[in-house]
Amino acid sequence: MGLPLFSVFDTVRELGWTGAVELFRNGLALGSLYALIALGYTMVYGILKLLNFAHGDVYMVGAFIGFGVLNAFGGSPAPTIAILPLIVLMFVVAMLGAGVLGVVIERFAYRPLRGSPRLTLLITALGVSFFLQNSMLLLFGAQFRSYQSFQLGSDNPAAFEPGPLFEPVFTIAGVNFQRIQLVVLATSIALMVALTLLVAKTTLGKAIRATAFDHEAAAMMGIDVNRVIAATFFIGSVLAGAAGVMFGLMFSQINHFMGFYAGLKGFTAAVVGGIGSIPGAMLGGLLVGLVESYAQGYLGGQWSDIAVFAILIIVLLVRPTGLLGARAIQKV
Amino acid sequence: MSVDGPPLLELRHVTKSFGGLCSVDDLDLEVREGEIVSLIGPNGAGKTTVFNLVTGIYAPDEGEILLEGRDITGLASHSVAQLGIARTFQTLRLFLNMSVKENVMAAAYGHTKAGVLRSVLRTPGMRREEREIERLAEERLAFFGDRLVGYRWEQPAYSLSYANRRRLEIARATAVNPKILLLDEPAAGMNPVETHEITDLIGRLREEGGYTILVIEHDMHVVEGISDRVVALDHGVKIAEGTYERIATDPRVVEAYLGTSATEDT
Amino acid sequence: MGSESDRPVLPEPDGPQVGVDEWVASAERLRDRPTGAAGVLRRAEQVVTPPIQLAIFAGLAALVPFWLGTGDLFTYGIFVLLYVLLGLGLNTIVGFAGLLDLGYVAFFGFGAYMYAILSSDHYGIHWPAIVTVPLVVVTTASLGLLLGIPSRRLLGDYLAIVTLFFGQAFVVFVNATNPVVAGTGLTGGPNGIADIDPLRFFGLEASTRTQQYYVLLVSAVLILTGLHFLSESRTGRALRSLREDPLAAGAIGIPVNRLKLLAFSIGAGIAGFTGCIFGTLLTAVTAGNFDIPILITIYAVVILGGFGSLSGVVLGSLVITVSFQFLAPENPQNNARVLFYTLIGIVIVLLVRSWWRVALVLAATVALGLVVQTIVEAVAPSWTGGPVVEGGRLGDVIEGWVVIPEGHPDFGSVAYVALVVAVLALTQLRRSRRIFALPAVAYLAAVVWETSFVLQPAVARWILFGALLVVLMNVRPQGLLGTPRVEIV
Repeated sequence: MGLPLFSVFDTVRELGWTGAVELFRNGLALGSLYALIALGYTMVYGILKLLNFAHGDVYMVGAFIGFGVLNAFGGSPAPTIAILPLIVLMFVVAMLGAGVLGVVIERFAYRPLRGSPRLTLLITALGVSFFLQNSMLLLFGAQFRSYQSFQLGSDNPAAFEPGPLFEPVFTIAGVNFQRIQLVVLATSIALMVALTLLVAKTTLGKAIRATAFDHEAAAMMGIDVNRVIAATFFIGSVLAGAAGVMFGLMFSQINHFMGFYAGLKGFTAAVVGGIGSIPGAMLGGLLVGLVESYAQGYLGGQWSDIAVFAILIIVLLVRPTGLLGARAIQKV
Repeated sequence: MSVDGPPLLELRHVTKSFGGLCSVDDLDLEVREGEIVSLIGPNGAGKTTVFNLVTGIYAPDEGEILLEGRDITGLASHSVAQLGIARTFQTLRLFLNMSVKENVMAAAYGHTKAGVLRSVLRTPGMRREEREIERLAEERLAFFGDRLVGYRWEQPAYSLSYANRRRLEIARATAVNPKILLLDEPAAGMNPVETHEITDLIGRLREEGGYTILVIEHDMHVVEGISDRVVALDHGVKIAEGTYERIATDPRVVEAYLGTSATEDT
Repeated sequence: MGSESDRPVLPEPDGPQVGVDEWVASAERLRDRPTGAAGVLRRAEQVVTPPIQLAIFAGLAALVPFWLGTGDLFTYGIFVLLYVLLGLGLNTIVGFAGLLDLGYVAFFGFGAYMYAILSSDHYGIHWPAIVTVPLVVVTTASLGLLLGIPSRRLLGDYLAIVTLFFGQAFVVFVNATNPVVAGTGLTGGPNGIADIDPLRFFGLEASTRTQQYYVLLVSAVLILTGLHFLSESRTGRALRSLREDPLAAGAIGIPVNRLKLLAFSIGAGIAGFTGCIFGTLLTAVTAGNFDIPILITIYAVVILGGFGSLSGVVLGSLVITVSFQFLAPENPQNNARVLFYTLIGIVIVLLVRSWWRVALVLAATVALGLVVQTIVEAVAPSWTGGPVVEGGRLGDVIEGWVVIPEGHPDFGSVAYVALVVAVLALTQLRRSRRIFALPAVAYLAAVVWETSFVLQPAVARWILFGALLVVLMNVRPQGLLGTPRVEIV
């Protein structure tokens, strides 16, 4: 059979500590991406009880916008402005662009259907997802685009020397931690902290929590529900856009279809962590990232997706509300 | 009314908590065959929770629920219904997109038996059973006079007025052929005329239908008009039990509804 | 009991009184009578009862092989029937029982692969169809049962995700995992399994397209009949109740979980059966036949027709499959062109209420096009005059009307983005204003078609598809033949 159960132990031993740490590092980086995507899912689900299938595609558009900005300044390996401001600009433009896209989607596809049965909304979300994916395909063609981030800013690109993004910053157990991975980790953590503060401390955050609880009651308290929902979509999409650029910087290759799987895994992360729970989305994201990384390393690429799927099933059967989700008590 | 033999429905030491909130606390309740018992108490007293426990929507944390002496604690909803307990809902849960007649016919599922194969092949036996189910539905709807008959049968349930919806829900419950009917605030939201009709209706359900009835109700006119016995709850605890006259003046009941200062005035 | 004097005295009713049940009912009946096209459809559906509908369908369908050539019969006739069958199965799960199964296409694939494994050169097993087909159906139905078991614990959205994952897991398993069994990869990996035996029953073989078409037609008629009878039985009622309100259904004695499993099994079984036939039709199966795009197509068929409506599935399949094949890249583009322009026309008709206004809009669109074309030709000739792809006579007409720039490859993309923005803006205009913007948007759509869509028809059809889903859910969620549903969320 394809599942190399016994050879798994051999592989683990072979890869040793170095392998384990390397997989851990990869899992963290990947997990940060999934966490950012999961946050968007969980926030929208919390407020609208809608699975926004199009969210993964917003992530994809963010990656493409980043690519556009990169190329507008000459692209890798030698852009016309310094690396740091370039990357900041990529992030800012992509995040804003993604945010606007999210708001537009909500405004035109979901708002008219407020109060419709769940099935209708889900189908609409699927339709939007399809529309976005294929629109990008139409506009950009099927070939993969590459950030070529490895050589970005490199002094000697022809010799395959890494640019500043991929320079190792420190080493643990023989494994290099590259700058870009640290950047991704740090940025993700910063964004998540910012989000947590926003939700916990600001008026908007309170409004979001109130609307998530009960639209009508929130409206009666003077909260503009439409604005709050738009803001929620904006925030979630901004995070997804950031994740898209991060993906491009880490893995270089982007294509119109990348949002689908990333979206699924982001959603898995949200569910595993407890849908509607922000710390849950972060935890779930990390968990999914680590599982995927280790499954890829120890079991092989074709099993990593199934491993993630298995985690989802197990969590849903054992603890349906997710690891950190609240037990929803339905009043009959 | 039979006074010997086990009660039709019995709750023994039933307790149910939700998180930190104890909704039903060590409740003993019995309903004898042919009785009409009213369950009263301020909002939040746990009355609907009692219904939900009996009909299998929740399982009690402690205690037992017995139907004709048989333990039904923790059984699934549909099993409880098939054993003979039918209910209506406080918030009205009709099948809105199905027709009036279909709503009632659906309730006959539990005591009919044409399976998938016979349905797909449309055997004579299945067709006969279908006709019987239809007849049963028409009969139960006719109980309410002219309101739910004739052209009404084919109308979708969402087109009914509020009072008719309540009646339909009761008709649907009777189509289960239950031994006991649990009615959750049947007169809620009704004007005085309709409330009178409900009072008569519940009486007729016992006289003509032979059902034992447990009613949750807030409107004291209705309670007065129908009850053999009244049970009062407050914060999940039974605080009084007896005839309406006795309960209406019981100081603990008055206090539960109106607060302490009211009792100081009496 | 309350005293008699308490009871208010009502006047004797000698006719319908406003506010009283009888009057309300008749007023509602008047008001609810739908007008226009929908009304005609509704009244037609009442007169033409299901048995007559089925007879008409079967009769017309039986004549199809006589006026379609073999190639067209395959592309259109056979695929329409395939999607009818698939739609019927999905309808049972989603339409009858209200369970959102996004992995449905995996049942289809499972049936196809299982049949392929048992009746092909892959392992050299060549079990006769009379054994394999029932075996596959039963196994797939059991698989449906297994998938349905977690559904008792999962609310609608979670079920959707889990089933979606299951569908993906199937594709991954078949494509990449491909475990080695008895010496060869079980599922043939990305190449799939080829050389599948044609369908053989009692010495008769279905190897020509016409024979295969009739096998599908007979199956469709039988399954339609069976599902109709099921729908009209106590089980059908129970399934509808379950779809409406599972809690209330349980309270009246309906074993909700058992019925969910039943719905899953029946739907899966139908898909498995269709998978077998599909395998024999194409004589080869690969993972690509059972992925998300196919799933979405099946959903579109059921959505367009209306969830819960059997005749809707037939109509939906007809519309979707034919449109799709028209937009297939292999097809001469003129068909697609006709379809697209007809689509624009239909949209205009639906948006504009009266017929003379429709004519006005169409005339304005044509005039606008000619004006724009003339201006551009005079001012910047390189921005027009490009050839129409695969024109024919219609194409010649279009060439003189639509601005097709030559040598500006990005124009199509820009025009497309502009069209999307324009359409979104159009939805925000008030109805009375809309009519003025319509010609411009319609012309822009034509431009986009000629400069962008026609170059990538396969992508274009998915875009139109996604847009169709969104628009449909916004405008008419119950589909063409479904009944509008009231739901307490």
